[in-house]
Amino acid sequence: MSPTRRDFLKYTGATSLLLASSDLVGDLLAQSPTGNPLTSMFKGLADVVLGEAKKVGCSYADVRFTRSVNSGVNASGGSDRADGAGLFGGGRGGRGGAGRGGGARAGGRPGAAGFGVRVIHSGVWGFASSPIVTEDELRRITRIAAEVAKASAVAKKVDVKLAPVPAYTEYWASPMKKDPATVSTEEKQAYVQKVVDLVAANKNVSNVTASVGITSEWRYFASTEGSYIEQETFEITPSFNVSAKVGDVTKTRSFVGVAKTGGWETAEESEMVESAERIAAEAVEMTTAKPLGMGLKDLVLTPSHAMLTIHEIVAHATELDRILGYEANYAGTSFVKLSDVGKLKYGSKLMNITADRTMPGGMATIGFDDDGVKTMEFPIIKDGILVGLQTNRETAPQIGDKASKGCTSAASWRDYPFLRMPNVRLEAGPKGSPDVAQLIADTKDGVLIDGRGSYSIDQQRYNGQFGGNCFWEIKNGKITRMVTDVTYNAITTDFWANLDAIGSQETWKMFGTGGDAKGQPTQTNSISHGSPYIRIKKIMVGAAYA
Amino acid sequence: MYSRDEIKALTDKVLNMAKADAVEVNFDGGERAATRWANSSITVNMVQYDQQLTLNVRHGQKQGSASTREFDDESLKAMVDEAQDAAQKARDNPNLSPLVRGPQDYIPVDAVMPKTADFGPGERAAWVKQSIDICEKKGVLGAGYIPKNYQTTCLTNSEGLFAYYQVAETGFILTCRMASGGGSGWSGITGAKDLSQVNVAELTEIAANKAVKSQKPRAIEPGRYTTIIEPRPAARLLSTMMGAFNASGNSGGGFGGGGGGGGFNFGGIGRPFVAADGTPKIGQKLFSDSFTLKSDIGNPVLRQTPILNDGQAAKPVTWIEKGVLKNLYYDAATARRQKVAPSPANPNMSLFVEGTNQSIEDMVKTTKRGLLVTFFWYLRPVDTLTLLNTGMTRDGLFLIENGEITGPVQNFRWNMSPLVAFANISAVGKAVPIHTGEAYDGPGTALVPAIRVEDFYMTSVSPAV
Repeated sequence: MSPTRRDFLKYTGATSLLLASSDLVGDLLAQSPTGNPLTSMFKGLADVVLGEAKKVGCSYADVRFTRSVNSGVNASGGSDRADGAGLFGGGRGGRGGAGRGGGARAGGRPGAAGFGVRVIHSGVWGFASSPIVTEDELRRITRIAAEVAKASAVAKKVDVKLAPVPAYTEYWASPMKKDPATVSTEEKQAYVQKVVDLVAANKNVSNVTASVGITSEWRYFASTEGSYIEQETFEITPSFNVSAKVGDVTKTRSFVGVAKTGGWETAEESEMVESAERIAAEAVEMTTAKPLGMGLKDLVLTPSHAMLTIHEIVAHATELDRILGYEANYAGTSFVKLSDVGKLKYGSKLMNITADRTMPGGMATIGFDDDGVKTMEFPIIKDGILVGLQTNRETAPQIGDKASKGCTSAASWRDYPFLRMPNVRLEAGPKGSPDVAQLIADTKDGVLIDGRGSYSIDQQRYNGQFGGNCFWEIKNGKITRMVTDVTYNAITTDFWANLDAIGSQETWKMFGTGGDAKGQPTQTNSISHGSPYIRIKKIMVGAAYA
Repeated sequence: MYSRDEIKALTDKVLNMAKADAVEVNFDGGERAATRWANSSITVNMVQYDQQLTLNVRHGQKQGSASTREFDDESLKAMVDEAQDAAQKARDNPNLSPLVRGPQDYIPVDAVMPKTADFGPGERAAWVKQSIDICEKKGVLGAGYIPKNYQTTCLTNSEGLFAYYQVAETGFILTCRMASGGGSGWSGITGAKDLSQVNVAELTEIAANKAVKSQKPRAIEPGRYTTIIEPRPAARLLSTMMGAFNASGNSGGGFGGGGGGGGFNFGGIGRPFVAADGTPKIGQKLFSDSFTLKSDIGNPVLRQTPILNDGQAAKPVTWIEKGVLKNLYYDAATARRQKVAPSPANPNMSLFVEGTNQSIEDMVKTTKRGLLVTFFWYLRPVDTLTLLNTGMTRDGLFLIENGEITGPVQNFRWNMSPLVAFANISAVGKAVPIHTGEAYDGPGTALVPAIRVEDFYMTSVSPAV
């Protein structure tokens, strides 16, 4: 390595830094005042990149520095208990996992930190990234990004054209009530241990694991458009899984807490503790539940399940890059055509879908996307008709839009930014819409589906087969028994056309997921999907088990 | 980049700095690059660099770890101090595996050819240009991916171990589509150590022809079909079963792939290879005579690592021989617990399904009525005990009647257990290198032939193209 860290800090103006860990980005961050991107250490570093990019002839450049910190608590128990309680690292972004065979860490673990440079040269994108934040490396990586772009020009059809964006100088952070750093490890540990103790009191429980994952990510974005944007997000992921064994049969019931951006209050509000005994009892009941069989049923979907169908056959299908063919080689295209906007009957009149990266707590909620575009709320489906698509600076001009809808994201400094779905929600029904009891009472021959199970969808998001985690038969307005082996088939527009009842606002809940994969190399994205309880009539269930 | 001498000097320095009962240093670094294109135009061209040292120190049964991406003396010292501090605070861990002693006798593997190591964005763009020019002539649009990896890993420890492996590889993965959206075709190769393994023109011809021929598919009834499954979908199907080889029974998480990402994505938590009383079904015939599956460490085409995760030298293992289960996989901890020898390879290493010289055309000629599958998509477990999986066909599905391909048919969703599929093999083709994972990231290429499976269960039609 050419310049040492001390040389580099000298360059950036730091003269009195205590080098406490092998985390240069963290060290620089510690010296930068919070909330003012122009006085951050990273302003100068960003300008090195932007200046170099201009020097080598790039028509556009941006740089992102990011750093993630993963921490959390977990505990386990049950008669087949495998592991003791303890802290864990993990989470996305970092390549460094916990040490082999155990080890310990106090508090959060720095994940990967580094920077990525994206340029347009000769009308084509180029991208390069590195974990080494030194001036030489910033310049070298910028030049590589430009070289990569130049080399690509032999195989371009048209020049990349970006929708205009204003220059911003902003700081944004996920709103939170209780900074996880201010809650003691003991208190966090006691919280998950309580869940485990309550579950393990059920003598048929063979294994229980409970955890709250905590990830924070800091990012600094600057572009040749004149923006300097610093953002911090905090994600809390509470969950627990219960395995019950009765005789030779073992089944697992998952409690999916509401993962959100926010503080420790997200864990406390997740109802993990309140739900522990119920989930344990349901896990036991699952071991003796019988298959539902095959046939047409009315589906009553809880929000924790409906999020899955919304994600797979609404949110993915309305990504403009897929529709334009950008993802044809991997994730796929879409059954939606550009000419469908304003015309396609996506579902029944009860269906109103909104995209929103500004909604509080959403996993994709942030102030600005990775193009430097201010995030927003916009409709995708209104009264059952397709009215909008997800766009970014690159794709918006291709459909004649004057501005991006702020849907660009990159998983970390290492990854190139591209179009990723925002939070996408199904709106609750108007006043007077049914509550859960009314929905069930109004269902003659159906199945109630909770949680996520197996799911598989074709490359155009038209034929889906979905499973859940837990199922109950509904007969003549009453839940009669728990059942198993339920999957259903959904042809997207037929499925949503059969949406014949939509729950009230009181039944609406948002769930989050951190594992949405797209791109080559694959990047994972975090998003939230909200839904009320809904009913979809006459859908074929059980064909997978025939 | 990261030569043996350079990494030896670096890891020796850390080993000398870290005073403890036992010390382990892991290096991982290199370049991951990629070119993507769509609508016959490059959309992404990128280079990612990364490097990391991870240090584990042990004091008695206490272990602490730390890592750094910066290798100047100051950063190394900070890492050592952090690991020592973590070890001091750690609880005793009675389950620490003993460090592997060096030197180990690794099967020599030459996995870096200079031309592949230097394979740059300009050369990748030239491949793309060659391909899209052919696409243009054929009247199709190309969308593809050329991954390039040049990675070095090294595990060293205070017991004299020096497990160094360097690999450079690429691939070429192509989907051709009609501009109308009415046809789609696929072809590809992954894990190529030698650039000459990648025949851009031939692969483009295959994908383009499939796109053209797949237009105007007719819908046929779902049901059980004799199905010729080309190497890529056969590799995907294989991946849904590999977790079952894990003797520990904890195979649900797979061996190091995952989700939609790279690696093997080995699924399945059922224990089809273990009897109800816990006895492995070694020696039992569970599959077709035509199915032989090995970890062929040192395979001259795959040229994959000869080093196990803990640094031990890997040796070839036969998992299935002519349909008979020969071995389960015992990791070091499971082997200790069950008092057996640990497996000298794990099932994500140099995976090889034995093939024949039979071409796909030969297999078509001997098929009375059936389907030819180009690609499987979105495989997900439905029932983890029986390994029942679901998935879709994609990018070219054709009907075979009386030994001839008679035309394209609409795609199917299928539901099938690999245990049944590999038992129902009636013909096997030539093994070629192809990735087993959903994405093409990281290791995961295996040598897999096309297979013909009787009674493959297609459950519903999908008009998606």
